[in-house]
Amino acid sequence: MSTCPSCGVELETPLGCAACGALLELGADATPFEILGLPIGYDVDPTDLRKRLLRFSRLVHPDFYATADEALRSRAESGSAALNSAHEIVADDARRADWLLRALEGPSETDERQMPQEFLMEVLEWNEALEEARESAPGSGARSALTPLEETLNAERASVLAEVARSLSPTPAPGAPALTETRKRLNALRYLDRTLAEMRALRLEQAANR
Amino acid sequence: MAYSDKVLDHYNEPRNVGSMDKNAKDVGTGVVGAPECGDVMKLQIQVEGDTIVDAKFKTFGCGSAIASSSLATEWIKGKKIEEAMEIKNTDIVQELSLPPVKIHCSVLAEDAIKAAISNYKHKQDGETVGAEAEKQTEGAQ
Repeated sequence: MSTCPSCGVELETPLGCAACGALLELGADATPFEILGLPIGYDVDPTDLRKRLLRFSRLVHPDFYATADEALRSRAESGSAALNSAHEIVADDARRADWLLRALEGPSETDERQMPQEFLMEVLEWNEALEEARESAPGSGARSALTPLEETLNAERASVLAEVARSLSPTPAPGAPALTETRKRLNALRYLDRTLAEMRALRLEQAANR
Repeated sequence: MAYSDKVLDHYNEPRNVGSMDKNAKDVGTGVVGAPECGDVMKLQIQVEGDTIVDAKFKTFGCGSAIASSSLATEWIKGKKIEEAMEIKNTDIVQELSLPPVKIHCSVLAEDAIKAAISNYKHKQDGETVGAEAEKQTEGAQ
């Protein structure tokens, strides 16, 4: 951790200094973890993360710089934007894992695009069930069959995510062969999430029409 | 992002939507997916001799993915297997005027054609059903 160029106190975040209130210029290569003052790794305490977001937001909030000169104002704006996007990545399990995988030079989603045929068949079946439910009347068998399917998919999502967590903690070495498995799991998660999002949308639509 | 007229045409009136019996010996099935967005596409061909006499698809995805697969079935119907293998995703991109962010949809359609043909050829070789899934996966790459 570096120290504040204005007052010399150790910095918690490269965004600014909590001790003297100095607003600092953020380097283009600052990582989301660095911005949030966290070590790079999958394990993150959500309560601590939330506190960091709020604490650092006060340092860079553009409202505090409304009357400052333009350079400082734009520094506050870009600092807030960087803080928010860093938080979005680190707070989301799948996005955090994806970021780590890239940082560790693991394969990208397109490097590992091929999923097992059985899995894709399964995805097709989920979508067919969804399509059937969408076309049938509320309260019909096809509609009620969706509830247990959604539960199954949510459980599968949780178990895939747990495997991702296990594979990234402790942090593997850059380029480790095991990263390929992690990428495949993150790809599977995307298919699950797409289907689950459509199921939720159908449920909301149904609730709205009631 | 606005869809081109051709995409909208295929999206509103998709050609050849449906399913064939995947266990029939003259039918080849390819199922492929796009990990970028979670879209999934099934394309099936019915072959007589070395000619694709019918093609069906089922795509769960965005308008461009539906249009790409709809167009792919239209193009391969009546073609010889070898000719269908020549279809490139760039041909689909050009025909549908797909923007750069939707290029993966056309890749999916090309992969689906190849996977279906590979599955069909595999069936003709008369190998065991167990090895089939693996072969299909390879063919889709």
